[in-house]
Order: sequence, then C-alpha cells, then structure tokens
Amino acid sequence: MTLLTLENTAIVADSTCDPPKGFFDRDGVALVPLKVHFGDETYRDLIDMSPLEFFAKLQTSPVMPTTSQPTAAEFEACYRRLRERYEYVFSLHLSKHLSGTYEAAAGVAETMTNVFVYDTRMVSSIIALVIERMRARLERGVELDELRSFVAGCHERAGVVFQVATLEYLRRGGRIGRASAMVGSILGIRPVLQVKDGYVDAYAKVRGEKRALATMVEYLEQRSGPDDDVYLCFFHADAAEALPPLRERLLAARPRAKALFESEVGAVVGTHAGPGTFAFCMLVE
Amino acid sequence: MTAREGALALVAGGLDALEAERDHINDLNVYPVPDGDTGTNLCLTVRAMLEALERASATDVAEVAAEAAKASLMGARGNSGVILSQIVRGACDVIGASAALDTPTAQTAFAEAAAAAYRAVKQPVEGTMLTVVREIAAAVAAVPPGAPLSDLARAAVQTGKEAVERTPEQLEVLRRAGVVDAGGYGLLVFLEGLVEAGFSDATIARPTVRTVRDDGGGGGGRHPAAGAAAGESSRYRYCTSFLLTGAGLDRADLERFVAGQGDSWLVVGDESMLKVHVHTDHPGTVLGYASAQGSIDAVEVNDMHEQVRERSDRLSRRIEGTGVVAVAAGEGNRALFLELGCGAVVDGGQSMNPSAAQILAAVEGLEAAEVVVLPNNRNVVLTAEQAAGMSERRVEVVPTVSMPAGLSAMVAFDPGRDAGVNAAAMGEAVTHVRSAELTFAVRDSEIDGVAVRRGQVLGLVDDRLVASGDDLRAVFASILSEFARSETEIVTVLTSLNGERVSVAELEAVAHDACPEAEVEFREGGQPLYPILVGAE
Repeated sequence: MTLLTLENTAIVADSTCDPPKGFFDRDGVALVPLKVHFGDETYRDLIDMSPLEFFAKLQTSPVMPTTSQPTAAEFEACYRRLRERYEYVFSLHLSKHLSGTYEAAAGVAETMTNVFVYDTRMVSSIIALVIERMRARLERGVELDELRSFVAGCHERAGVVFQVATLEYLRRGGRIGRASAMVGSILGIRPVLQVKDGYVDAYAKVRGEKRALATMVEYLEQRSGPDDDVYLCFFHADAAEALPPLRERLLAARPRAKALFESEVGAVVGTHAGPGTFAFCMLVE
Repeated sequence: MTAREGALALVAGGLDALEAERDHINDLNVYPVPDGDTGTNLCLTVRAMLEALERASATDVAEVAAEAAKASLMGARGNSGVILSQIVRGACDVIGASAALDTPTAQTAFAEAAAAAYRAVKQPVEGTMLTVVREIAAAVAAVPPGAPLSDLARAAVQTGKEAVERTPEQLEVLRRAGVVDAGGYGLLVFLEGLVEAGFSDATIARPTVRTVRDDGGGGGGRHPAAGAAAGESSRYRYCTSFLLTGAGLDRADLERFVAGQGDSWLVVGDESMLKVHVHTDHPGTVLGYASAQGSIDAVEVNDMHEQVRERSDRLSRRIEGTGVVAVAAGEGNRALFLELGCGAVVDGGQSMNPSAAQILAAVEGLEAAEVVVLPNNRNVVLTAEQAAGMSERRVEVVPTVSMPAGLSAMVAFDPGRDAGVNAAAMGEAVTHVRSAELTFAVRDSEIDGVAVRRGQVLGLVDDRLVASGDDLRAVFASILSEFARSETEIVTVLTSLNGERVSVAELEAVAHDACPEAEVEFREGGQPLYPILVGAE
C-alpha cells in the first residue's frame, strides 16, 4: 500500500476557494481559474485581477460582471501536467449547484487514472481550509482511502456562514437559492446566510449588527463541542474591518479552535456575494 | 310595486348572491368539464335576465314571466346556464298562468322547474343541478298548502343545502375532487339570493354550505379541485352555444344532429326559439346545419382546453406557502409591511377598526394556502380572530398590539413554512418588543396618577403613561431613556410629523443621546393621531 505524501500527491482547486496569499505558490497546489467578464473584457480570476482591483472596477464599471467556469480542456491540461510529476491528483471544487465547474472537471477525470474529483458542496475559503488539512495529512503520510474519505465526508463537518451587505448581488446572479425569500436592508435587518447541501440558504433573519454577530457565534456553538478540534478561517469582500470582532467572538466561544487564515474573496465569489460580505468557515475534525 | 319591479328586485338579489360567489363556484367546477366557468356562466345567464327585465315594458305577471323565461333562454351560457334557464322557464310558465304567487303556486312552480330541467337533459346524471332542483321540489311539495310562503322558502333553502352537500356521494368525480357540484351550488346560491330579496324576514338564515371537503383529492393546502383537470377534460375542444330563431323549428331533429357532433349537448326551447349548447370539435359543422333551419345569433365558441389550463394554473398558483395580512394605518407603514413580505395590508388602527369582512376579503384574496393575520392593535385582535374563523383556509392570528410589534413579527416570517410554525415564530419575536406611542391629550384629565392638560404630549409605553409635557422632543427623550434602562438593542421609530415643529434629524439626535448603545431606525409611517410610534427590542 503506497502512502500518499506531499511528494507524490498534488491538489487542484478552482479560484472559488478564495485562498490566503501565497496559497497556490507552493509545489503540489495548482489553480484552475474561473473567468470574470466585464462586457467584452475577460479576466482570469485570481490571476489577471486581484480582489482589490476587482472591487475597484466593480464600483466604476457601467456593466455588471458575469462569470464563467473553466473548460474541460483547461482541466485536462492541468491534470496531465501534474500527472507527469505526481502519482495522485485530488481536485476540489465548489458545489455543482452553483457552477458547472465540477462537472467539467469530473468529465475529464473519467478519462484518466488516479485523478479524484470532488463536489465539496461548499464554496469559498472552506475549500482552501480543507486543502490545508489534507496537506497536513500528506505531510505525515496518509493512505489513499483515508484521504479520499476525509475529503468526501468534509461537507458533513464543515460550515460556511456569512452576512451580505445586500441580497442584490446574490439575487442578480441567481445564486440565492432557498434564501430568496429573505428581505434585507430595511429596518436594520441582517440576513445571515449559510451554504447548506450545496446551496446558499437562509440561516436566520435578525435585526441589528449585534444580533447578527451573536447568530453567527450560535451557529459555531451548535455545530461543535468545546473539546472538538475546530478549524476556522475567515473571508470578506471589501469588508476587512468586519472580521476582527467576529474572530474575537468565535474564539471566545471556542477557545481551543485554531484560526488558520483570513482571505479576501476573488472576483467570482465577489461578483455573486457583493462588497460588504464577510464570513467564517468551520471544519470539525 | 308592479310585477316587473318585483321580478327585478328578485332577480337582482339572485344575481348579487351569484356575483359574490362567482369565483368560488368557478373553482368548484370539475363536472362535466373542469373548465372553471360555471360561476361566470350562471352570472351571465342571470344578468341577461335582469337586463331584459329592465328594458321590458311589460307590467302584468304573465308578460313579465314570459319575458324572464325568454331572456334566460337567450342569455343562457354554458351547460349550467342552459339548465338554469329551463328551471327559470318551468317556474315562470306556472307563475305567469297563476293569479297570485302563493304557496300552492310556488309548489307547482318548483315541480315544473324540476320537470323542465330533466326534460332538457337526455341522460340525466345525479349529483348535479338536476338532483338539487328535484329534491327542493319534493321538499316544498310537503309544505302544507295553507302555510305562509316563508315556510316554503325556508324548506327550499334548507333542502337545497342538504342536497348540495350530498352531491359528492352521488357523483364519483366530485367525491374524488372533494368538492360539491358547482352548478348545484350555484343554483342554491341563486335561490338564496331570491329568497333574501323576497323576504325581509330574517328568520330564513342563509345556511353555510360545506363546499370543499378536507379529505378531498387535493391535500397539502392545494385547492382540492386543482388536480381534477387534465385526465378528465372533455375529449372535445370547443364549447359551442348559440340561439336559433325561426318558425316551426324541429327541436328533435336538431337534437339528433347535435348529439352526433359531440357531448354535453343541450337543445332547449320551442318552435320559435332554440338554445343549443354542445362540446364539439366542429363548431362550424353544427352552426352550418342550424343556420339552414333559421337564423342564428349569440354565437359563442370557447376553447375548453385553454380554459382547463387556465383554471388549473389559477388553482395551482394561489395555493403555495403562507401569506400575511396586516392591519396598518399610514402610507409609509403600509409600504413597510409590504416590503417585509406582507401579501395584503388592510387599512385600520386606533379609532378606525376594520371589519371582519374587510380582513376576510384580504385573507381570501391572498395567493397563499395558509394565512397569518397581524391585527397590530388591541381593538382589532377580536375582529381578526372572527375573520380567521370565517375563512376556509387555515388562518392564524398573531395578536400584535402595535404596528412596531407587527413589524418585528414580520422579521420572523418565512413564507415557505406553514401558518402554525410562522405564528409561533412571529409570536415569539413579539414577546421581546415593547411599544410606545406619542400622542396628544384630547382633554384635561388624570392618567395613571399624572395630571395632563388638553393638547399636551402623552408618552405611553405598553399603554401606560410614562411621560407627558408640552415638548414632543422631551417626551420622546423620556420614552427612549426608559427603553435604554432595559438594555434595548434595536429601536424602530415610525414618524408622522405633519405640522409638528420638529424634524426627523432632531429626533435622531435625541435618540442617539438617549440610547447610545442601540441601533435606531427611523421611517416615515404616516399614521394618523400619533406623531411618533416606537418599537424597542
């Protein structure tokens, strides 16, 4: 039985994993970007445009951006290149209910050996967090079946909870799913959303910043025990100032939790969530 | 009152009753074709009678009766309309030939009405209008001839109700759909309308008819008859009806021809005028044959497949999820409730309480399977509960006592959940809300131990006077300080400052000073009587 390690195993993610800086600069971690279109201009997410540039453009552009998934050919080229050097390739993608990215990747993997493609049923930094935890296992060596079942079962122990400044971006992009009935932006109502079963879903509708924050903490408390190994990460879209109080409250509720990183969302998630979005992701091991 | 005026009043009463129930009758319509137009057809038939009587110059009973019979035939629409016209004709023939409209005459009139209805239909089906009119005729025949006409009317209405409620036991398609026969129910509604117009005597109560059975084919909040469409449509496409006039018309011959062209056919009338109704794929062939016998008029051809689809769309659309009806005063407040997801807002509040009928109309007009009602005023809670009891839908009342409380309840509303779950969540949301109102004293008095002068500003929290004075700002500040003491997080202020010498900006500054920890939201509410309403939670 071969042991999977950082030497023989590579991990692929698409750009919606909203990674921390330097994430894809490491050997064995490869990016396949989705694309953002402002009218006729096309940008590769995370490559041609930084999150800061994206939000600057979002404010000034007369047209609203649209997004598109990577092609099967792009996945094939990436997998072939990695397979020259690595024996195993794991490819993790955002929920197939939000994008056709997983389908494109899975179609390619069927024609190859030792390429494992996953619909994580989630979106954004939680995927980068899962990849960090995979690499921790690869660092000490892990059996193929164990790593496969870890990735496949992650969605049951993971959570993404976020607030948006307005539901408008989610509505416009058609990614609002079962949260569509939520009302926002009047009477100080804060929609608190979650990613659930691969969809953006309402978690709670509360009035006032304090209650919204308390609701996010309550989510963590309900889905983890005080002695669990909990990993956290945070992301925001042009709302960095919202993260420190959230982080403080979450770590006060679960002092043993490890906060791995903070990141700014890329253009694709930014297009659909809109500026002002901030979130935390959790994984219980 | 002339015979014509009397007949006009009766028919107008019948039409009013039918108009009020029209949509409901349409939705019950599953037999013979679920095209959802029985209510409309009955209304149009009776309206034609009314209009003809209005134009008529006849004054004596015989002429008026003949006029009414002819008008109903000419105006008859659809299967149910044609049968109704025969019932009217049977009755009018008897009444026109009688000296007075007394109990024996009415008994004969009902008997002849039933006989005429049965004559019109070659293969009578039980559990329809025919059954209802026959059972009514039998019941009124048992009334002693010397009894007053009101006794007969009472017996007719009561038996009609029982007959209508039995129709699902007689006709399988009704039983499966869980509804009573639309035509039979329509006939009863028409009869009730006549009776109400004819007897000011209130002892003849209009019975409540159970038209939709809970255990019917629908389930899950859907209109029971919604599913009845597709499989049971007429195999023919066009509902065709027209009037044929001429001399020596051969009814039997035309009937034979029409019978060969489709189903649900009816040919009624006499040698000078025949009304033809048939469901066929070839309306042109039928019209062509008839036009060789006389002149045709009032031709109507409807695509039933389209009607079936529309009805089915309509019934499936209205039945999803839960909706909210709120009672509110002021344009801004009304808009706020609608923005928060209310389906309808009924005007009302302090000193202008809406009626149960108004609330019921809003509930019934909602495209939702279940409904939550927010009365938003202590004095409206009972009325809302009455309205809830009158609706056939599941209606829950969350007894909100102020508009700010109602708004907080709306934040907890989720249209995807049923009314019970919503009412619990909304009721829970309201328990944390305290309401305040600022208004002016209408007279010198003492309230809760405090003396107030007429015209002074009163600040009430949960109906208790906590502050009063001459300055709106100062009273507002006292109210907010009261809230600040109980760790209020969110304050909602609904303003209506017309004519007050204070601006929203000034009030915002007051609120910020008094409740520095709270998030304060101002909205222009536009409510009468109260320049400021406050909710705190």
